[in-house]
Amino acid sequence: MSATPAGREPAASAPVMDVERLVSMANQIGDFFAAYPAGQREEGVRNHLRNYWDPRMRTTLLAHVAATGGKGLHAHVLAGARLLGNGAPERAAYAGPPRAEGTGMRARGE
Amino acid sequence: MWSELRALREDVDYGTPPRDGEAVTLTVDGVPVTVAAGSSVMLAAAAAGRPVVKLCATDMLEAFGSCRVCLVEIEGRRGFPASCTTPVEPGMAVRTDTPRLAELRAGVMELYLSDFPAEDVLGGWSELHEVIATTGVSSHRYGPGENHLAAPVDDSNPYFLFDPAKCIVCSRCVRACEEVQGTFALTIQGRGFESKVVASQGEPFLDSECVSCGACVQACPTQSLVEKSLFEGGYRSADPAQA
Amino acid sequence: MPIPRKPDGSVTTTCAYCGVGCGFRAETLEGRVVRMIPWKEGKANHGHSCVKGRFAFDYYLHPDRVRAPMIRASIHDPWREVSWDEAITHAAAELQRIQAAHGRGSVGAVSSSRCTNEEIFLMQKFARVALRNNNIDNCSRICHSPTQFGLSATLGAGAASQHFDSILQADVILVVGANPTEGHPVFGSMMKRRIREGARLIVIDPRRTETVDSPHCRADVHLALRPGTNVLVLDSIAHVVVCEKLYHEAFIRERCHWHEFEQWMALVGDARYSPEAVGPEAGLDPEDIRRAARLYAAGPRSTIYYGLGVTEHSQGSTGVMCLGNLALACGMLGREGVGVNPLRGQGNVQGGSCLGSWPHMFSGYRFVTDDAVRASFEHDWGLSLDPEPGLRLPNMFDAALAGSFKGMYIQGEDPVQSDPNQNHIMAAMANMECVIVQDLFLTETAKFAHVFLPGSSSLEKNGTFTNAERRVSMVRKVAQPLAGLEDWQITVRMINAMGYPLHYDHPSQVLDEIARLSPAYQGMSFALIERLGSVQWPCNPEAPQGTEVLHTKAFPRGRANFMLTGYVATTERADERYPLLLTTGRILSQYNVGTQTRRTGNVAWCGEDLLEIHQADAHTRGIGEGDWVSVSSRYGATRLRARISERVSPGVVYTTFHFAQTKANAITSDLSDWATNCPEYKVTAVEVARVQAPVVTEPAVREPAEAPA
Repeated sequence: MSATPAGREPAASAPVMDVERLVSMANQIGDFFAAYPAGQREEGVRNHLRNYWDPRMRTTLLAHVAATGGKGLHAHVLAGARLLGNGAPERAAYAGPPRAEGTGMRARGE
Repeated sequence: MWSELRALREDVDYGTPPRDGEAVTLTVDGVPVTVAAGSSVMLAAAAAGRPVVKLCATDMLEAFGSCRVCLVEIEGRRGFPASCTTPVEPGMAVRTDTPRLAELRAGVMELYLSDFPAEDVLGGWSELHEVIATTGVSSHRYGPGENHLAAPVDDSNPYFLFDPAKCIVCSRCVRACEEVQGTFALTIQGRGFESKVVASQGEPFLDSECVSCGACVQACPTQSLVEKSLFEGGYRSADPAQA
Repeated sequence: MPIPRKPDGSVTTTCAYCGVGCGFRAETLEGRVVRMIPWKEGKANHGHSCVKGRFAFDYYLHPDRVRAPMIRASIHDPWREVSWDEAITHAAAELQRIQAAHGRGSVGAVSSSRCTNEEIFLMQKFARVALRNNNIDNCSRICHSPTQFGLSATLGAGAASQHFDSILQADVILVVGANPTEGHPVFGSMMKRRIREGARLIVIDPRRTETVDSPHCRADVHLALRPGTNVLVLDSIAHVVVCEKLYHEAFIRERCHWHEFEQWMALVGDARYSPEAVGPEAGLDPEDIRRAARLYAAGPRSTIYYGLGVTEHSQGSTGVMCLGNLALACGMLGREGVGVNPLRGQGNVQGGSCLGSWPHMFSGYRFVTDDAVRASFEHDWGLSLDPEPGLRLPNMFDAALAGSFKGMYIQGEDPVQSDPNQNHIMAAMANMECVIVQDLFLTETAKFAHVFLPGSSSLEKNGTFTNAERRVSMVRKVAQPLAGLEDWQITVRMINAMGYPLHYDHPSQVLDEIARLSPAYQGMSFALIERLGSVQWPCNPEAPQGTEVLHTKAFPRGRANFMLTGYVATTERADERYPLLLTTGRILSQYNVGTQTRRTGNVAWCGEDLLEIHQADAHTRGIGEGDWVSVSSRYGATRLRARISERVSPGVVYTTFHFAQTKANAITSDLSDWATNCPEYKVTAVEVARVQAPVVTEPAVREPAEAPA
């Protein structure tokens, strides 16, 4: 490595984008995972946010959760978002929604 | 089948579509050649390096057998079958170049030239001009008669024009529109001398069902259908005053 | 003289218009392209062509082409022509200034699917090594990003399973939300040929398209569903497959996970998805849904082709998964004549997807969050890379509006015209401090730019394109770039100006780098493509000449996955105020936002976008053929002329988005696919009213007044 990237900037005081929009995007993700059994549902939301959202979007959403208790978020979406914040182990890679129960199947690298 | 489409070659026109079948060996002018069953004698001749002159045939279209210049002789058979519509058979011995064939072809070519603009016979580079060069027939013995030389040019399409004076009614454009493009915008209207290529119900190309894919232009052997971009300063006959 | 001039030069290249990727021989006379002849050896087109590729090439010498780099301090200032060095130094300095002031993540880049694989790869490299973030996206975000997501999730590979020629062995063809005869004409011709040979056709599309009914091509079943009900209808087809036991149990047991299938069966088998329940909601006869399901499941070779009518919905990714599930359930994968195939819009959208122009993925569809993958790039590029996903294109605009995103390098895209909710996009664009546009023309987006870098057309560069069937073909330089540089050279200069030293002598070296870093392209090289004519990925030691049909023995993850695809209605609904549903599409003679085709003779067929409206809806509003109408939605309004049409059902209106003055995207919503943020272009609730004709209509081709002479 000839260089390391500059450390991540301190969390911006302003949200990266409109919180309401993030809430509605998160709920849409939740709508898809609602078809899955409890447990997988929340994990699906969490994985999706982790792998497809810019960290500033997650930070803004989590700040909203901290400030309002997750106003506007569906219950399983809120639970999924909270999985992001509680030190759940990082997934190295992720190819899509959770597998159906009992496959023992993980995407490559997981 | 797609393996047949993939046998098309940019620098060869086999005259009829390549086929995917069992190997059949025959000779063309003494040259042995092996092609797939279902192939035409015309294709075998091209594959043998003894191509037969042709006007209504091209390997992106099914054989039609209308132009009468691709005649050959086949040992043990009477007459002069059109090579495009004659399927190969094992052991067939084909002749493409005999004095009698040359005579027959010359007769047909003269008929074509009798209704083709004389000033366009020399200097052109269409397939018809290649046949003129190969057969050595560049004039005809007929006097002025009824012809299509004054038919108006359709230059309504922004990209290509249709000059009926150069059309030999070989149907390649009509068949390309059907077989290659699948639009069925072109037809041959009328019979005999009256027959002509028309778009939809005799409308200008632009107003017809034509989707301007260019398949007809590519198929045309006489540059009767031709890209406008090849003409600098417009097309002479496009001016109705001169047509 | 009536004897045509004979071309004196010829170069074989690949068409840059649609995702079919036809081979052409570009014939030149005295250095100028005079005609394009379809290449008989082109494996995507076999010597056929359409009006765009065959004839609409003159734009490359259009007087509107920008011939020198330009900069300006503010978007209200006139442009000033400068040298390449000055433009690039200025652009880089601006991006660095913004990053210093607002953070590393405050700038980003967008690559173009009209550019080559090599150019797209360099754009994502620009973001990663020069901006040091993952704020890189490509235009498939707004068209086929759900394809990548949905097909990866089910089948394990986000691309077409077949080669185009495979359709010539299909017995049943299911076309969903696509209109191949207009959008992908050369493939459409091949499809029609197969239909003439006797293949059966099922079309799912709100509009009675040319594919549904044209000479010698008629759909056996046309499901003219209400816009927005794709997932509902596809789940209903699945319901019939499940309840009538039309599925292929042996295939599922061997190639999928049986318990996943059971879970899926429980979902779609629910009475909610029975044709009798779905029919009224989707505007369909239940019996037609059953016929479609039976026809597809019976095969024996059934194939699916789909387009943006599937992806551009709030459930776009779910819709794609429905198709994957359906093919898996019926065993329609892994052989000739079957499969699931996206018809991709722009010439190199597949390449755009393959080559890491994603905020969350490197080339070859591998996550930036994957340490091992990231390490391979870090090793090759000699620096550490951002391990977190970046902003997606719509997120960039949202962030720009919020003030946290300030600069953008846009290669050959026109988001102001092409992206949804135009007012929102324009506000976001105006909020940025440095917008760099690299394009052929001063586009709508260039009105918001501070730096304009004149790009090169596909006739003016070397490289490769990847078409919708994963086929990588050569793009060869026919003419010199009008402004001096090929697009890849411009991006290399930008990367250098940002302080990362980089040099390539030729795009072939970029492809070598792509091959080194991307498993699917592992065996690719210019030499191999030259030798074989074209190569379909995956190309690797197991498949040294590429791969035509995917999933023949196993899926990339071993077995394929059934996904649960519950229907969630879009929040964009018709009501009393906006009683009609607008859906959008395209026509044969124009391409995308029309930047190129509007500058060709193709305007003879289509000089403006029209609003198709059913006679009944027109009648109640007093609208006649050719009348000017206003179309208003919850997001904005625009005006265009009406065409009374039987192609749309009552309650549905339709238009295209080829012309800037139409401002079709002034009315589209900013709703998007749940998984990928792909915009919901295909459903907008609107009202239509007759209005006076505008006093002055803009001519079709005029661009901003500041266009250089």
